[in-house]
Amino acid sequence: MNRDEAGADQRRRILEATADVVAERGYQETTMEEIVRGAKVGYGTFYKHFDDREAAFLTLIDTAIKRTAGRVEEAYEREEGPWPDRVGAALGALFEDVAAHPNAARAVLVEAVAAGPEAAARHEAALKRLAPLLQPGRELNPRQAELPKSLEETLAGGIVWVLSQRLIAGEAAKLRALLPETLEFVLRPYVGEDEAAREAGEVASAISA
Amino acid sequence: MPAEELGPLPAGRHGFSREHVAHHQRERLIAGLATAVAERGYAEVTLTDITRAAKVSRRVFYENFESREQCFLAAFDVVVAHIRELLGEAVEGIPEWPQRAIAATRAVLGFLAAEPDLARLCMVESRGGGPAVTARFNEAVGEMVPLLRLGRAERDGERPLPHSTEDSVIGSLVSLVYRKVAAGEAERLEDLLPDCAEFVLSPYLGPAEASRLAREAL
Repeated sequence: MNRDEAGADQRRRILEATADVVAERGYQETTMEEIVRGAKVGYGTFYKHFDDREAAFLTLIDTAIKRTAGRVEEAYEREEGPWPDRVGAALGALFEDVAAHPNAARAVLVEAVAAGPEAAARHEAALKRLAPLLQPGRELNPRQAELPKSLEETLAGGIVWVLSQRLIAGEAAKLRALLPETLEFVLRPYVGEDEAAREAGEVASAISA
Repeated sequence: MPAEELGPLPAGRHGFSREHVAHHQRERLIAGLATAVAERGYAEVTLTDITRAAKVSRRVFYENFESREQCFLAAFDVVVAHIRELLGEAVEGIPEWPQRAIAATRAVLGFLAAEPDLARLCMVESRGGGPAVTARFNEAVGEMVPLLRLGRAERDGERPLPHSTEDSVIGSLVSLVYRKVAAGEAERLEDLLPDCAEFVLSPYLGPAEASRLAREAL
């Protein structure tokens, strides 16, 4: 390993340890000591990479948001079917990514809210990225003019809630099973109850197949 | 009920029993924590901040609480108990489910808008406060599920709603609200009432009727 690689490896270990400690103890109770111990680096090495605990945490959530949002948006773009299918693909990618990286996802979805104004702003910005994927659904609703302006924000909150609850319970593996119901919940305001249920049923049978 | 009015009584009055004084010290500490959290954020609050705001000694703190976290939990519980009471009063005497649901939504948003510091304590600072606080938060939110579930009786459709509907509806609103509070917009929460009420009613009454009732309620 050359020096750059060693540096990158240390940085990665620090971020992983930050995610692990924060998931276990909560951001508020997380200490530098636990992070450096978990990362198996010294304090000096930590400070070479980050100014403080908050800086490491912010980098952790930035990295996670970039990865997850990239996957979700890519899944949405790649799906060429009608809009409900595209939302299904995006939501599927989101659930899969969260299940694969539960501690990093928890940092973004749960802990960031209470980890200071910068982290809270990133949480908010990450949720806002879901809105453009949902908005085209308004075109499918005959009552579109009457739909509340806050609908996308509210639904994004609902998705995050479902994910957060499973992460807090340590049940990221159960997320897959919750995908159909969550999709139904998200689609219902746009396409109506029956169409939303049909779409959810398709996703459910694809999962069990 | 501003944070500073949560507890304290003048200290050192005679004629109170020891338990009585201890009880009020506890309340003062809870109010002290609420004040300190509002000023600095829970992450930065030290025991000294709490005892200074409560005007009691460190020894008194440890007579009442084992840790900062325990004191936070006590404060959280006080706020939740108050919201529970407001909710009960808000729906009392309202026979119809949709109007009850609207009244409950209005009561919660109204309280949080009127008390931005307490809104912040229970909606924002409680996230990231560790497993015990998180569990308590979820319990409190979960208390709303049965109230909402009663709406199922209003439905015409034959197909039952997915089991997780109530959880998703409440979670959507909780998330929306804590984001507004985190962004320092707690005072404007009541503006969200029509949208929130519609969102709550919609799965049960259908979107058109939900929209009509939500707007009528204003």
